[in-house]
Amino acid sequence: MNRGEVVSGVVLAALGGYIVSEAAHWEYLGPDGPGPGFFPLWYGAAMIVLSAVLVVQNFLAKATVAGRPVNWREVGRVLIVWAGFAVSVALLKVLGFILSFGLFVLFMVAGMYRRPLRVAISVAVGCAAGFYLVFPFALDVRLPIGVLGF
Amino acid sequence: MEIFSGLLQGFAVALTPVNIMWCFIGCFLGTIVGILPGLGPPATIAMLLPLTFQMNPTSAVIMLAGIYYGAKYGGSTTSILLNVPGESASVVTCLDGYQMARNGRGGAALGIAAIASFIAGTFGVIMLMLVAPPLAKFALAFSSPEYFALMCMGLAMVVLLAGKSMVKALLAMLVGLWIAGMGTDLFTAESRFTFGQAELLDGIDFVVVAIGVFALGEVLGNMETREGVAMLPVPKGLRNLLPNVEELKACRFAFLNGSVVGFIIGILPGAGSTVASFISYGIEKAVSKHPEKFGTGVPEGVAAPEGANNAETGGAMVPMLTLGIPGSGTTAILLAAFILWGLKPGPLMIQDNPELFWGLVASMYIGNVILLILNIPLIPLFAQILKLSQYVLYPIIFGISVVGVYSVSDSLFDLSLLTFFGLLGYCMRKLDYPQAPLILGLVLGDAMERALRQSLMMSQGDLSILVSRPLSAGMLVLTALVLAVPMFRKANAWRMKAID
Amino acid sequence: MVKRILIAGSVAALVAANAGEVAAQGFKPTRPIEFLVHTGPGGGNDLLARAISNIVEKEKLLPVRMQVTNKTGGGGITAMSYLSEKKGETHTIALFANTWVNGPLMSKEAKVTLKDLTPIVRLVTEPGVIVVKADSPYKSLKDFIDDAKKQPGQLKQSGGSIGSRDNIVRQLLMKNTGTQWAYISFPGGGERRAALLGGHVQIMVMDPQEAGEHLRNGSLRILAQIAEKRMASLPDVPTVPEAGFNIPNYLVIRGVVGPPDMPAEAVKFWEAFFAKVAKTAAWKKYLQDNLFEDGFQTTAELVKFVDVFTEQARTVLKDAGVKIYR
Repeated sequence: MNRGEVVSGVVLAALGGYIVSEAAHWEYLGPDGPGPGFFPLWYGAAMIVLSAVLVVQNFLAKATVAGRPVNWREVGRVLIVWAGFAVSVALLKVLGFILSFGLFVLFMVAGMYRRPLRVAISVAVGCAAGFYLVFPFALDVRLPIGVLGF
Repeated sequence: MEIFSGLLQGFAVALTPVNIMWCFIGCFLGTIVGILPGLGPPATIAMLLPLTFQMNPTSAVIMLAGIYYGAKYGGSTTSILLNVPGESASVVTCLDGYQMARNGRGGAALGIAAIASFIAGTFGVIMLMLVAPPLAKFALAFSSPEYFALMCMGLAMVVLLAGKSMVKALLAMLVGLWIAGMGTDLFTAESRFTFGQAELLDGIDFVVVAIGVFALGEVLGNMETREGVAMLPVPKGLRNLLPNVEELKACRFAFLNGSVVGFIIGILPGAGSTVASFISYGIEKAVSKHPEKFGTGVPEGVAAPEGANNAETGGAMVPMLTLGIPGSGTTAILLAAFILWGLKPGPLMIQDNPELFWGLVASMYIGNVILLILNIPLIPLFAQILKLSQYVLYPIIFGISVVGVYSVSDSLFDLSLLTFFGLLGYCMRKLDYPQAPLILGLVLGDAMERALRQSLMMSQGDLSILVSRPLSAGMLVLTALVLAVPMFRKANAWRMKAID
Repeated sequence: MVKRILIAGSVAALVAANAGEVAAQGFKPTRPIEFLVHTGPGGGNDLLARAISNIVEKEKLLPVRMQVTNKTGGGGITAMSYLSEKKGETHTIALFANTWVNGPLMSKEAKVTLKDLTPIVRLVTEPGVIVVKADSPYKSLKDFIDDAKKQPGQLKQSGGSIGSRDNIVRQLLMKNTGTQWAYISFPGGGERRAALLGGHVQIMVMDPQEAGEHLRNGSLRILAQIAEKRMASLPDVPTVPEAGFNIPNYLVIRGVVGPPDMPAEAVKFWEAFFAKVAKTAAWKKYLQDNLFEDGFQTTAELVKFVDVFTEQARTVLKDAGVKIYR
């Protein structure tokens, strides 16, 4: 039994249930033809059925097909990177792209890749400056601007 | 003969130094726009429109069209090198292109993309020139039931995109359909799955999901260990930067397939190049002798979709020039530009302005050559990016993803969605859910629901409209055949075993 | 003494004159103007905004640049809520269209209506035409309505979303005549037209500009025009009331709106500014090329108009069975 499949199957079944319950509020067949609830009802139902198949398959399968064990240390590392990215996106409104991206690069290089601070700072400054030169400066692409005005 | 003299006249127009210059400028800008994820041809053309008022309309259309098809060339670059789809149409190129880059064949992948683009782009122009008026009638014969059948055919490709588990591929596709359904319902103005957020009223932009799931999901996956699986840089030497003979040979059918499929789907105003590239990739895999290798970096998997999205440009010009009907954002703005220049787009435009039509056609031949010459030398330059250390490359991919999404919508909300889809992409990788079906569902879901509801409105709820029309019936039969491919394969494998 | 009074008088007059000028010049843009539109590049309002900023630049009507910004989404709702966050701002203005009126009526997510913002002027009204294919049996609007009576629900019209003029005109006609025909929404103008030209639907409401070329080619026929009075370019085609169907004329409008609480002097400035734009030759040519009508209305007129216009849309949409939230 593959735990990942069972868990994701249950989550998807729940999503299917949510879709169907929402779709039930909308018109299924109106005077002019199928309503907004028509299509969601069908794919929501299909989602429930298929995720049930996935879960049942796993219970029926022999123990030999167990999934790869999850290395939680690796997953934790990814989640830290993701959280760092999420924070940098949240900071865009305040710091603007150039600063917040620079800080994210710094966090990646120094924190996640354990490079010396000197290297990290130069990479961060280089990346931020490079992005600035290519996008807003050379190509006139707008980037998020913070309270400091850049 | 008429075509011949028209073409001569066209080359006389297009080969003047001024027009060659505009053609080059358009192609060059298009390449840049294509390389940048997010920023697309419609926005660029809109920005440049005011500059074109002083120009002769023929020169202006030559330049703006150059941006349009030039962007298709550039779109593959970030898909192949960084797994960041540069345009929605090049999302399929990620599947095999990025894998080729990981195997150290990044230069070859870029070369194949350029060659496929050139062949298919030229094919598109030839067809545009030869058969534009009769094909416009074909485009009109296509209506909602036919679109529904086409979307079914596209969705059936899921059986070809599935990895080990068909159930998981189907589930991913259903999630894609769900995301596609978010936003305001066209027919009733009912808002669906918006969670009360006004930002979701228009649904979620395709680019946000594609970049999140492909690019960020991939990078996050590689961050599991400090020095994760490295991408192989392209080895030194020109030979390694360009596709070799075997790779080109493998692509022979793909060039043709991409050209034809892309052009035909391009003619239809309601389909689009993303659909074209998915279908030609699916066809390529269905007829391949080694379908199991797709997704691990086969050159055909790059050539077919890249060809399709370039031939699509020629196709999309058919209804635009012969009927004044736009099939995409870019053709819509080109049509608007015609009006601003004092031309009258519509069924008489070619007749009234032959020098413009033939000048444009001739310039597209020239433009495709320019683009090939422009793109091949860029390959070694871009391949350098693969030499960057991981700790520099990965943050850059994050940055490019943010810029790409933001340049589409100027919206911080979309960036939080991007963050979410990045995590979703990682979870899918971790749990072995294929990502392509999700994108497929997302691309087709909206159009498919619309076409189905339109069809049933046309027939007062009678489902037989879907099969009683020859074109849609034909496509539904094809769909059934596609669905049967895996079963056929299984049976074949079993028979082979029995013979052994 | 007389001299003194004269001096005092002239000083007072000068002061008064100056004061008048100060009031008129109370606001002058000092930074680039953000000119907001709710459609992407190539959409109706986007093209109009770019045309305006072009005229302004050519005729040097503003000391600063006018920068067109696209805030797409929700049929204008995103742009409206963006504008509503700029309370009191004087350098951000937007172009509105019908969807700024109809959208919020039909959406529970919308938090802002056109009334919550600061309407400045109306610039354009766009007439429409009701067309059929040239080989269609319908020679007049009456032919079509008669046939629709014979086979209720069987005939089809292609159009845009449910809140668009296409559907509102249909609803008005159906109510007026007691008939029924189906309405099939297509998201893009191209698909809409292809459905008509391919014979998949029988009737459609079009912009006169897009119909013009098909008319010349002989592939379409105009049954009636949706306009107050006949357009100069279509002197022989009856308006809908002239064709025998007395329905109110539903306008497609475009105009300029500012953020909430825009200072009065800024509103005055923009009103006068757009009045000036609307008088230029370049603007008149733009209207003519696109077959738009000059629909200029001052701020005071527009504010009244918006109320009437909103009420009209609300009634029609409610009759059509659309959920109305406000």
